[in-house]
Amino acid sequence: MWEILIQLIVSGIAMGFIYALVGIEYTLIWNASGVLNFSHDKMITTGAYIFGGTYILGLGMDFIPGIIVSLITVAILGIVIAKVIFIPLRNMTMIYTIMATVMLGKIIVEAIRLIWGPVPFSVPGFLIGTVKIGSTVISIANIAIIITASICVLALQLFLYKTKPGKAMRCVAQSRKAAQLMGIDVTSVMTVSVIISMIICCLIGILVSPLLNITTTMSNMIGLKGFAAGIIGGFGYLPGSILGGLCIGIIENIASMVLPSVYKDIVAFVLLIIFLLIRPKGITGKTR
Amino acid sequence: MKKIKSKQYIVMAATFVILALVPIFINNNYYITILNQMVINMLVVFGLNFITGLTGQMNLGTAGIYALGAYTSALLSRNFGISPWLTMIAAVFVGFLIGRGLGYPSLKMRGVYLSLTTLAFSEIVRIFATNLVSITGGTQGVKNIPRFAVGFIQLDSNVKYFYFVLIVTIVLCLLSIKITHSKWGREFRAVKDNVDAIESLGLDIKKIKIRAFTIAAMYGALGGALYAHFNQFITSTSFTTDLSISYVIMLMIGGIGNIFGNIIGAIVITLLPELLRFLGDYYQITYCILVLLCAVFLPNGLISLYGKARHLYEKKSAVKGGE
Repeated sequence: MWEILIQLIVSGIAMGFIYALVGIEYTLIWNASGVLNFSHDKMITTGAYIFGGTYILGLGMDFIPGIIVSLITVAILGIVIAKVIFIPLRNMTMIYTIMATVMLGKIIVEAIRLIWGPVPFSVPGFLIGTVKIGSTVISIANIAIIITASICVLALQLFLYKTKPGKAMRCVAQSRKAAQLMGIDVTSVMTVSVIISMIICCLIGILVSPLLNITTTMSNMIGLKGFAAGIIGGFGYLPGSILGGLCIGIIENIASMVLPSVYKDIVAFVLLIIFLLIRPKGITGKTR
Repeated sequence: MKKIKSKQYIVMAATFVILALVPIFINNNYYITILNQMVINMLVVFGLNFITGLTGQMNLGTAGIYALGAYTSALLSRNFGISPWLTMIAAVFVGFLIGRGLGYPSLKMRGVYLSLTTLAFSEIVRIFATNLVSITGGTQGVKNIPRFAVGFIQLDSNVKYFYFVLIVTIVLCLLSIKITHSKWGREFRAVKDNVDAIESLGLDIKKIKIRAFTIAAMYGALGGALYAHFNQFITSTSFTTDLSISYVIMLMIGGIGNIFGNIIGAIVITLLPELLRFLGDYYQITYCILVLLCAVFLPNGLISLYGKARHLYEKKSAVKGGE
């Protein structure tokens, strides 16, 4: 009984970190440009396809160089997407920006289908196996997710609080107009945000590829739950989305002891609606 | 201005007349099916126009509302033998409940909450519809949904059903026009144009938004019920997020906030897959790029092309007159 509970909590924390990363990734773009990126789940999928489809299975690279090269690739892709989509969209009404990012997501899916084909696949031998600690069994993929996500969160905090571009990003998040008046180049801040966001997306895609098959729909649920994490923690507030993500991950895994497993996905959305009813500003009470 | 409006109504009436004449010339059952779907889509888009078009709040959960309407009417009429007329009213009532229940939490704050909750809501509906196999039949779907009769006319063929749906749509179109030009419609538009001004006038934004969303949900649920009785078979796999998105696309392509634009949008987007079929594998990506370009460069939809063309023409004739 207890072993099962601990196992569930550990895998819940791992999934929670994934949702937290998703929350961070779209919050960065939201704070910089006021555009809610509805294509973020497709960007996660793109990361997984570039890593698994092109560099590992296509070019036969090792895992570590493969990861590094895919991160560089998506960073370059991020510059293009920022220049073509997000910067022109920054001054448009919300409904058009939502529609444009939704269509961007659909275009990405179709491009993936044309480039890599519709057949799902997985990366053989990547983060497979389990570790036994005492009597509980924990999979290596979960440990890798927890470690990588923690490093990622810490690095992002250092970047945001210690470096100049990071401070500029925080300024823009607080008030775009004031930042512009103070001489901060808002469009370059947006570009940097999109690049970081794309890199985090790619990392998420690589990290979940051992848990899910690589398909065009692999990250739909992760993307939606990432939005829920943002609202539960406090929309637009980075520590909030980390907290919200962890909450969703742990609660939904514990709920799967009681509920039939097919209804596990509903937990996050029910939590989302409950929070909107009772505490719309989220656990932390901060939105931005 | 009034002249343009009345011209638009004439064109709108002409469009409906042309639609009504189509089945006389085309006997192909496949095309009649598409026609039915087109008119039902039109009806749903009229509803969506209130919340997304006029009030400016993005609703990405039309598929969930549509699905609940379809399942309510289908299950009640098939399992309990209740007259489809009553079950369709039940579906509209379900739409009303969705509008109130979902609108309240997501519209009491400003921001993108409605898009996220409606998206989550339609996912919840889809998961339940897929997994509650004993009630909804899961992906196998609900079969043998009954057609019904209007007076003495049994709506047994697709053509007869098409005329029925067309009449319902025309009635709802008139209702939409009525609401748009009433106090409610002006309030909806005011919320989109200037939230702060309307707040300073002492109007409750939350109530206005919830009202718009409720009307949208009622239209959507009725559309779902009509679809269920038309197709006589529904399955959870057809109510995906892509369906919600395609309704928003219809709204945007035609002309946001304009009822004639909605009609054009529904016709164009329902026919486009047939017209672009020759592209094969590249169909989807072409379609998406076209829509993205329209969203960015033609934000007021196809309907704004007429105004632009008129403007150009008047400019030209003005130049000529000057000579």
